[in-house]
Amino acid sequence: MNRPGRREFLALVGTAAGLGAQAQTLPKRGGVLRVSAPTNPSSLDPVTGTAGSDHVYLYTLYDTLVEWDPATLEPRPGLASAWSFPTPLSMVLDIRPGVVFHDGTPLDANAVKFNLDRARGGAMSNVKTDLATIRDVRVTGPMQVTLDLSEPDTALPLILSDRSGMIVSPAAAAERGGRHSREPVGSGPWKFVSWADNEKVVVTRHERYWKPGLPYLDGVELAAIPEVNTGLRSVIAGQNDFVFFLSPQQKAIVDRAKSLVPVTGPTLWCIQMFLNFGRKPLNDVRVRQALNYAVDREAFNKATANGLAEPAHLMVPTSHWAYDKEAASLYPYDPDKAKYLLNQAGYKDGFELDIQGTSDQRAVQREEVLIEQFQKSGIRAKFTNGVIPSSTSAFFVEKKHDAYLSSWTGRPDPTQTYQLMFGKDAFYNVGRADPVPELAQALADTRRDQGIPERKKAFARMQKLVFENALVVPLQFQFEMDAHTAKVKGFKPNLLGKPRFEAVWLDA
Amino acid sequence: MIGRRLLQILPVIVLATFVVFGLLQLVPGDIAVTLAGENATDARIAQIRQAYGLDQPFFVQYGKWLWNAAHLDLSRSYLSNEPVLDQILHRFPTTLLIVSLSLTISLVVGIPLGIVAATRPGSRLDTFVTSFASLGVALPNFWLAMILVATFALNWNIFPATGAVALSKDPSKALLHAALPAFALAAGGIAEVARQLRSALIEILSSQYVRTLHAKGLSPTAILWKHGLKNVSVTLLTVVGLLVNRLLGATVVVEAVFAIPGMGSLIVHAAIHKDFPVVQGVVLSMVVIVICMNLLIDILYAVLDPRVGRA
Repeated sequence: MNRPGRREFLALVGTAAGLGAQAQTLPKRGGVLRVSAPTNPSSLDPVTGTAGSDHVYLYTLYDTLVEWDPATLEPRPGLASAWSFPTPLSMVLDIRPGVVFHDGTPLDANAVKFNLDRARGGAMSNVKTDLATIRDVRVTGPMQVTLDLSEPDTALPLILSDRSGMIVSPAAAAERGGRHSREPVGSGPWKFVSWADNEKVVVTRHERYWKPGLPYLDGVELAAIPEVNTGLRSVIAGQNDFVFFLSPQQKAIVDRAKSLVPVTGPTLWCIQMFLNFGRKPLNDVRVRQALNYAVDREAFNKATANGLAEPAHLMVPTSHWAYDKEAASLYPYDPDKAKYLLNQAGYKDGFELDIQGTSDQRAVQREEVLIEQFQKSGIRAKFTNGVIPSSTSAFFVEKKHDAYLSSWTGRPDPTQTYQLMFGKDAFYNVGRADPVPELAQALADTRRDQGIPERKKAFARMQKLVFENALVVPLQFQFEMDAHTAKVKGFKPNLLGKPRFEAVWLDA
Repeated sequence: MIGRRLLQILPVIVLATFVVFGLLQLVPGDIAVTLAGENATDARIAQIRQAYGLDQPFFVQYGKWLWNAAHLDLSRSYLSNEPVLDQILHRFPTTLLIVSLSLTISLVVGIPLGIVAATRPGSRLDTFVTSFASLGVALPNFWLAMILVATFALNWNIFPATGAVALSKDPSKALLHAALPAFALAAGGIAEVARQLRSALIEILSSQYVRTLHAKGLSPTAILWKHGLKNVSVTLLTVVGLLVNRLLGATVVVEAVFAIPGMGSLIVHAAIHKDFPVVQGVVLSMVVIVICMNLLIDILYAVLDPRVGRA
């Protein structure tokens, strides 16, 4: 008889230990997850909502046509079991059979057409720009739709993993009209029970959910607690099981509370300075480049997030498939270079930069660090602070100030991000300026190729243009910072930083 | 008197809502931008402004709101599209419970403290009460709220740390949830009641007619209960009126600490986003409550002191 060697023995022990661990953590069905959410949903209808924070609620009620890998955001099948681009100007979606809405009606090609037409043409739709390249939606089979496009758009799969791809029941939407935003019907893992405004949203298991074995939880209760410290306290006290969107500063509190499990992971949520490059002084590329050289992103990250975030050099973090090392290395911290560029631009003695800010404590801390860093390059930063809605309006609508220290929550497809911020007529291009005429073509090119490697090359070219021309000052990617009680199992953060609970179970 | 006071309500309501509406216009911000969502475009923002009448002149917007309010229609929230009246009616009982409980605690604790201090002026007990009262006034209620949560909710698990339960749903749970916020608010109330009562009572107890009562052989207890307290009741009533108004305002901060869905959190959220119908609705209801409270106090003045009624 052959006795196992040392290596085989260790492998056997490892397997046995793994099996043991697996047996201990097998998912269990049942229980209600109580979540502390920092915002009330703006709407529970995917196309009429207004806030990026709605997704946590929407994911419980709706499936999307396309899903994504939580770690990289690469697309994968969802309600559409497959998709293809038979020609550059058409996209075919094969709809997964056997999916039913919470009201018992089937989810088929007609339902998908209804939804896409509603999203791109509905009077109350806020996602029309996402689907601007779709000319027509045709039902080409009981479970197939074909999208006719006005121009090639390979960003569509990931766009359809966002609000535009969340499918509501046509019967319910037609019957309820505007009330559908408060009494929604989707096909997601849970169905709607109640929504007490600014208080709580309750959802319960969709018994005919199509993913085998899911969801594990009987229901989810999402309590809107705007003050995150209060939300965290509610979990420490055992009134809730899960809290998200915590700040890095709260990590120490989570660690101290022995009963809690911290969860962190990178996200697309970028702290950045939007620039008005349509007027002086930021219409001069040298001044914008100087701003980028003047920021010590590593030090900023340590000072404002205790290192629990990622310094940002592009609009996507290092783990994202569209990250480009070359474009990311354009602006090392170099105050002398910043001074030189300002001198070249005619600002020998530096200049005063008029920045809109927000008044929350963390934002003010960021401002203090930036004031200090900019000073070393002769840039005198002057901040005007207000609450977020007022500040956003002051900068983007009233066009006050040269720059805005704020954040960008990210989009599933990076084309959306770059288009929304730098497109000539984009709302977030506050000066509606076109300082890089070749950018429009470079943006279109990112939507031309299908495969990720090909798109990556197009993104490298486009990002190089954006950052050589310094159209934005990215500073820091926020980490998703969550905490839950020990009985919560199976939760995985994702790159969008918007928690999903369908694979979560309670071990109690 | 009641009819005259009721007539005075109307101009106060118009003035208060007009001033608040004007202030909201002065603050930078545009709810159309919020409503246009993350993929906002100029066209969508313009469409929303037109749909909600936000592109109309200041007086037209205010006039429309006032006309609807006069017909008991407080409009709908721009943000949630829910009727404002429904939102107020849903949230007011929660705030009312906290304010009532806080007022009760303030009186139940504050009155004995005030009496004890007034009947033993200069004593150690008086010094203690006076110091305690100064501390109660000085302590910020949000700080006290956090200390109470840390101690009684997180460490000892006696009270819930957050949220509220409707009194109609589960009275005992509702009181349990309201207890910590009420105590946090009551610290200032206890101090105010104790201090005011003490000084008013000391003044009365040192007056000549009380000396006469002593000379006639009336016991100190009888003097205190029959003559002293009866005479400070008007002062106490004034304090109660002011206290209720102050407590209503103070709930804004305490509701945030305890994540209580009450009137305070409603108006804060609405004001930040410039959800003008909600702000106006809450201001209107608060003005009505305060005026009604003042009216009630005036009526009670007349009951307690007939001279007021004759005046």
